[in-house]
Amino acid sequence: MPAIGFTAIYAVLRFPNFAIASHMTIGAMAGVLANTELGVPASVALLAAFLAAGIVGVASDMLVLRRLRPSGPLTTAIGAAAMGIVLENIVRFAFGNDPRGFDLPVLRDLRFRIPDLGVLRIGPQQVEAALASLIAMSILFAFLAFTRSGRMMRAVADNPTLAALKGIDAQSVARRVNFVGMGLAGFGGMLIGLDTSVDPVVGARVVLPVFAASVVGGLGSIPGAVAGAFVIGIGEEMSTLVLDPSYRTAVGFLAILLVLTLRPRGLLGERAL
Amino acid sequence: MSLRLTRRAGLLGSLAAPFVARTAFAQTETIRIGTLTPLTGAGGAYGPAMVKSIRAVVEKVNANGGVLGRQVEIISEDDETNPDAGVRAARKLIDVNKVVAILGTWASAVTTAVAPLCWENKVMLFTVSGGDGITRLPHQGYIIRTQPDSALQAERSGKFMLDQGAKRIAALSAQTPFAASTYATQSRVVAAGGGMSVGDIIYDATKTSFRTEVDQILKLNPDTLFLNSYQPDLAVLLRDLYRAGFEGKRFTLGYAANDKLLASVPQEVTEGLISYAPSPDLDSPAFKQVQAVIGANPDPYSCQTFDHASLAILAIAKAGTASGPAIHDAVRAVGNPAGQPVSDILEGLKLIAAGREVNYSGASGPCKFTAIGDISGCKFRFDKVEKGQNKLIELS
Repeated sequence: MPAIGFTAIYAVLRFPNFAIASHMTIGAMAGVLANTELGVPASVALLAAFLAAGIVGVASDMLVLRRLRPSGPLTTAIGAAAMGIVLENIVRFAFGNDPRGFDLPVLRDLRFRIPDLGVLRIGPQQVEAALASLIAMSILFAFLAFTRSGRMMRAVADNPTLAALKGIDAQSVARRVNFVGMGLAGFGGMLIGLDTSVDPVVGARVVLPVFAASVVGGLGSIPGAVAGAFVIGIGEEMSTLVLDPSYRTAVGFLAILLVLTLRPRGLLGERAL
Repeated sequence: MSLRLTRRAGLLGSLAAPFVARTAFAQTETIRIGTLTPLTGAGGAYGPAMVKSIRAVVEKVNANGGVLGRQVEIISEDDETNPDAGVRAARKLIDVNKVVAILGTWASAVTTAVAPLCWENKVMLFTVSGGDGITRLPHQGYIIRTQPDSALQAERSGKFMLDQGAKRIAALSAQTPFAASTYATQSRVVAAGGGMSVGDIIYDATKTSFRTEVDQILKLNPDTLFLNSYQPDLAVLLRDLYRAGFEGKRFTLGYAANDKLLASVPQEVTEGLISYAPSPDLDSPAFKQVQAVIGANPDPYSCQTFDHASLAILAIAKAGTASGPAIHDAVRAVGNPAGQPVSDILEGLKLIAAGREVNYSGASGPCKFTAIGDISGCKFRFDKVEKGQNKLIELS
């Protein structure tokens, strides 16, 4: 999810928005607060996570990053990294450094005995998280394919000059893509928080694989981000058949090296939004 | 030019003269002991209380006529939790104040930087730093440490798991400098006690799921798991173990299974989790004295510095002279197992004055030291989680 948000923002605005980690944190924090303070179920909390991160994403873009964009992608990227640190510390200042957990029971896994192979273990909560991602992704693809906003985003991503000639307002598209992109980051942040606990660095802890998935898939390609996340995730898990689990992280980055050496534009190439 | 210099030097000299005279006078009168604790910086939360408990010991001794007929003077310096500042302060304590001992260095980096100054100048250094390398410095006996190193902690945890009926022990450890050595020490202890270490997995603590690691470790069929974790990764590990249906015992470290963890993870997941941590000797009369000075829940470090001050003063009394080498030679003799057990400094001084042997045990524990200056045993507290709360199950 965050990889999709990251790559969508890159596709439209042409800079890597490193503030994605803090938006994941904001989403996770909003979700946990909605769940524990307001008592709403996890599905509604996911919506809160999406909205909170999306709104903060739009605000930080309008207030800070928009002004930096004319100075080039590098300046904006550094500005975004700084913005991320500021946001993370605002969360820390407002909600404290202590980990928070969702008010949800932890369920035992379902077990299936497969003759001759052993036991297959499926976590009901992981299935739920996967379903939630799938639903969010379907909505996103429908949004991009069938709505006016979605078409505008694709147009700008494809050819900003042509889009401007056609009268598409770049600022309005920037706002929309930031809302959707950072909202997805917040959504993903909360899904991670469901499985772990939520503190100000929850986003920063997982941001590297997010970048990795976007790069492997091809920066700017949403299906690529999905494919990249699968390649890295499955690659890391399969590697434990032959390697010690301590080397799991290294395998993910080995995948990046391999993909970028053999296919420098990523699995699905860029600009396939 | 030369005239001005001379005049200035003369002026400075005459200004300084009263202080020089006072210092010289004071040295024949008082015994000077330095404290070098973190009053600021990362350890700033601990330093002030550490000094307070040292002062409590010294004031008691002074009110009772001092030691060897002389008053004890405390010179307190701040190491800023920073090796540079620590070295500057130690130089001042050694060169200017002529202290016989420095008490209370906290951060391992500070202790490591200050230690050579101490042993070269034959000044005794008492520390609360836990870094394994410190007592392996070539310190010629001038370092005494009251904090257990990770080897001692591993040994005790291994024994405790055996006591709790563990037969097949496996470890899941975050990547730390002490993960491998802790497992090796535990395995040795467990094997000697008739148990078996079936394997360990070192994991990357930043992962958001440890399903793979959990699957692999459970394949070894352990009845007990040692989780060498920090708090954030322990929260994830416990959930994944619960989901996997692990029914055996789970042991971990006190700083990981803290109240914050228990508040953020559902009760059914943490139920029965056992953790251990080095503990002050809660039943000791010396601990009660520290409580009277610091408050109901003193941190382990102020308990240790309380013992630093007591040990240094008893050693001076035992040796009959107040110097670094004297403390160096006598610090183990005041914990003579054959002697009269004492935990009060005045009682100890009285016995020593009467020519009796004493066996000091203090607020932090028995205060017995190995040849290289490590504490040879201390109390550990073992807590078990019941309904989301840590309950003390054993202090030994």
